[in-house]
Amino acid sequence: MNNQLKVLRAMRNWSQAELADRLDVSRQAVNAIETGKYDPSLPLAFKLARLFDMPIEEIFDDGFQGSSDD
Amino acid sequence: MVSRGAAMTDVDKPAKRPMSRRRKCYLTALGLAGLFGGILGAWMQVAQSGGSASDLAMLSNGPLPTNFAIGASIIWVVGMILSLILYHRSVDDHEERAYLWAGTAAWYTITLAGPTWWVLHRASLAPTPDLMLVFVGALAVNLLVWLWLKYR
Repeated sequence: MNNQLKVLRAMRNWSQAELADRLDVSRQAVNAIETGKYDPSLPLAFKLARLFDMPIEEIFDDGFQGSSDD
Repeated sequence: MVSRGAAMTDVDKPAKRPMSRRRKCYLTALGLAGLFGGILGAWMQVAQSGGSASDLAMLSNGPLPTNFAIGASIIWVVGMILSLILYHRSVDDHEERAYLWAGTAAWYTITLAGPTWWVLHRASLAPTPDLMLVFVGALAVNLLVWLWLKYR
């Protein structure tokens, strides 16, 4: 799943360690999410959304193009 | 698009934050596991070899004193339970996933190696199955998968 985490983090001049600190996860977790090797759990995705004050779907993109009825 | 919200204006680097409760608990769990393992290993070495370091007691199937066997069993069970409770209460999302897949891979190792070795032994094609060897093999697979998923 694609995500904007690296961009959002860079806009705030946060290091991976700093973001990890704010999320209370390991730096490896932030790195794995940024590089798309790991999709966070729903609670962690909500935590990210609250931290960046954005809806989850603006941070993460599952590539779905159709309507929500599909 | 990113100019809204209080968090978006927070570009200043915060002062070094104190270690979170979760992280303290996590490090305590790892420290306890290491401590119990170290005590057991050192005690086993002394108990089996009478203090001589000629053989590595952990890799032996030789007899052990009764007192040591009872004490070591208690330390192993109690130590593992305590460490694991702390670990699972404090581990983060990403590492938990690595842990679960590592555990699954270790279980598959046992599932493949155990019955295969047992059947081959019954046909006199392999030596007597060694429980600790299967355990150590599974543990090695567990560690490799965990390291790969956490640090790749």
